[in-house]
Amino acid sequence: MNIDRTVAPQTEEISSFNLVEANPTKIENGINIHRIQAGNEAVLKVDFVFNAGSLHQSKKGQASLTNRMIGEGTSKYTSQQLADALDFYGAYISTRSATDESSVTLYCLSKHLSSCLTYIYEMLTDANFPEEDLKILKQNSVQKLAVNEQKNSFLVRKYFYSSIFGEENPYGSSINKEDYLNINRQDLVEFYQTSYINKLEHILISGQADDSTMLEIEAFCKKFNNTITRKTLPFPKFDGSPERKKFHNKPGSSQSAIRIGRPIFNRSHMDFRKFQLLNLILGGYFGSRLMKNIREDKGLTYGIYSSLESYKNGGCWYIETEMNNDLREKGLFEIYKELKTLREELIDNEELQTAKNYLLGSFLRSIDSPFSLADRYKILLDYNLEYSYYYEFIEIVKNTKAEEIRSLAKEYLQEADLYEIIVGC
Amino acid sequence: MIQYNTFTLDNGLTVIHHQDESTQLCVINTLYNVGSKHEDPNKTGFAHLFEHLMFGGSVNIEEFDEELQNAGGESNAFTSNDITNYYLTLPSNNIETGFWLESDRMLSLDFSQESLDVQKSVVIEEFKERYLNQPYGDVWLKILPLAYKVHPYSWPTIGKEISHIENATLDDVKSFFKSFYCPNNAVLVVAGNISLEKCNMLCEKWFAPIPKHQINKPQYQKEPKQTEARKETVYAEVPQDMIVMAYHIPARTDKGYYVADLISDILGAGKSSRLYNALVKKNPMFSELDAYLSGDIDEGLLLIEGKLLPGINMDEAELAITQELNKLKTTDVEDLELQKVKNKSETNILFNDVGSLNKAMKLAYAFVLGDIELVNKEAEHYLSVNQIDIKALAKEIFDLNNCSTLYYRKK
Repeated sequence: MNIDRTVAPQTEEISSFNLVEANPTKIENGINIHRIQAGNEAVLKVDFVFNAGSLHQSKKGQASLTNRMIGEGTSKYTSQQLADALDFYGAYISTRSATDESSVTLYCLSKHLSSCLTYIYEMLTDANFPEEDLKILKQNSVQKLAVNEQKNSFLVRKYFYSSIFGEENPYGSSINKEDYLNINRQDLVEFYQTSYINKLEHILISGQADDSTMLEIEAFCKKFNNTITRKTLPFPKFDGSPERKKFHNKPGSSQSAIRIGRPIFNRSHMDFRKFQLLNLILGGYFGSRLMKNIREDKGLTYGIYSSLESYKNGGCWYIETEMNNDLREKGLFEIYKELKTLREELIDNEELQTAKNYLLGSFLRSIDSPFSLADRYKILLDYNLEYSYYYEFIEIVKNTKAEEIRSLAKEYLQEADLYEIIVGC
Repeated sequence: MIQYNTFTLDNGLTVIHHQDESTQLCVINTLYNVGSKHEDPNKTGFAHLFEHLMFGGSVNIEEFDEELQNAGGESNAFTSNDITNYYLTLPSNNIETGFWLESDRMLSLDFSQESLDVQKSVVIEEFKERYLNQPYGDVWLKILPLAYKVHPYSWPTIGKEISHIENATLDDVKSFFKSFYCPNNAVLVVAGNISLEKCNMLCEKWFAPIPKHQINKPQYQKEPKQTEARKETVYAEVPQDMIVMAYHIPARTDKGYYVADLISDILGAGKSSRLYNALVKKNPMFSELDAYLSGDIDEGLLLIEGKLLPGINMDEAELAITQELNKLKTTDVEDLELQKVKNKSETNILFNDVGSLNKAMKLAYAFVLGDIELVNKEAEHYLSVNQIDIKALAKEIFDLNNCSTLYYRKK
């Protein structure tokens, strides 16, 4: 067979996608159960979500340590007994505490769900925060923090958030050594009482969640005497630093970590989805302008990316990279040059089309596994959106014009509005 | 249970096909049977540097990534001691683009000095970012040459030193390609929403015309049995002392590998493990303490890695670990504990099967290990391990003369 390898095979535009939608039900006691039934393996991921983020705490470190201590003992079981039991069923527990909320996640084989739920129930309703376990967790957290504080990439992230949001704002603050040392058992018990006990907000179950699985989950939920009184906390004001450029000297570094960015709107804003496309073009994928120029053309870094982060009460956008100290000025010059080009010049059709095709392809990838479907769905839940948000996304991406990209860049990517944080020497 | 079909093209390329009609995607995973263990000891880091060059354009296609992205696809790759693995994912109706791209870079690269120079700088920055500019980042660079005196596992995939990467020439690149990048040294897995007929047709069209090469696999020596305790101390600007103990274990295809894997789980995987409970919780000497396998195909390592709490003496910490290891040599593991780690491995296997890409990588790796059916048999291998196996292997490996210890001390 003779083939001409210089000619690309025909491709089709992505025009439709099968999105497995979640099936939500609400139990009488107010717990929302969301089921995403997908996948070929008999595995499950179950998220238990609480309004218990750092936004809801009265003392720094309270939300995070309460969340991490959930599996460290209940009045019936010691931390080792809990770990032994869950490990025996081959299950994994992960805990996550963010600004807006906290969660406990169970990964297990479908066949072991009900056994695991017995222990999860104890953890979510009867954790007793043993002094000794807390002491160890605090000590180890302080050690881990000391290691992280030697990493330029960790420091630049911390300085960036505090600069753009303000150190006192929940999105800008970070835990330091003293915060860990100041937390005591009573702080955790109180936070657990107010934010966890009978405050289970959502359960997201994804994977092979058949009808019998759902009966188990419902029975589990009915055991809670939930009393959720929804109160909307006033969100503290943003208090970004007036100093836009900050250099933190770290002697002995062989590279500088750099973050350039700004606070920006969150997902609820009508420009968000168009901005996702703009961000992609600049630094959101391997074919982005920053990656091509600074890595693939000049070899100044191993990687450079730009990202858009959305939270319930705000958001931010930034470029991040680590590069050789000696070449840093050259790299910064190129970054600002790329921003200027985006603001002033129209993107050509071919580049725009590639970015659009890539973005739609990556959307397809993001709805391919049961767990990533659950992540997509959680976004809708967090911002009170409907599935139409994703169907519209396809249309918005397809129809965005070069002029719109330029005007978005003009509006949001002015150099004067950007913070530049560097850790290096 | 992963279903698959397999066939071999005339040029020696093995193809494995796995169909999943529930996805809208298709994956092409190409594994070349070459890793850092095939490198010249004076030109290390080359397999990995070469992996970078595979994205720099091929003989008929200038921009690999752009063409792929334009079809809605994404790709990446990784290099290990044993293999180099490339993968790409596309919407299944555009999968032919993947065949076109992947076959062209198997046919020949567009060898350019410029692309080599840029990727050398990129890899040097990667070396710094991951191995030098991180607390404890160079542990791997220190422990491997201590544990391996003869076998090429003595250097990490990134290379022994930056100068090896700096010195790479275009001629080196060309000869590396000629020796290892050919259909008869690769396995291709096509997985996702694609029929066997279509897979067959596209393989014939794009891959069958690529000529086979004469493969010149350099011979390397097996690591002789270690017969003396090896110890090394390094000082660095780190916040706490760390200890790493490395024990030689059986090869990946040996039954003993599964035993070693379960031993590492009993010792150091998660909050119910022995080391964690004894030395992080009950008698706290470490802030972190883990046990894991290096995961190599030839005889690899079981590693114990712990960060010491302030004020803890290194000798006492080491002794405490050794005492825990010795318990495995003298006392049978209880039924429940053995069952627990077996159940964990069952969960790991099943979670690792989620998605076509995971399945594709697993199929390719099993082929290299010599038996594709391993993808469905690994669970049984774990289940068949018993108390006697655990005790026997613990006795064999947890020997002072089989151990390399790195004392990584705070300056």
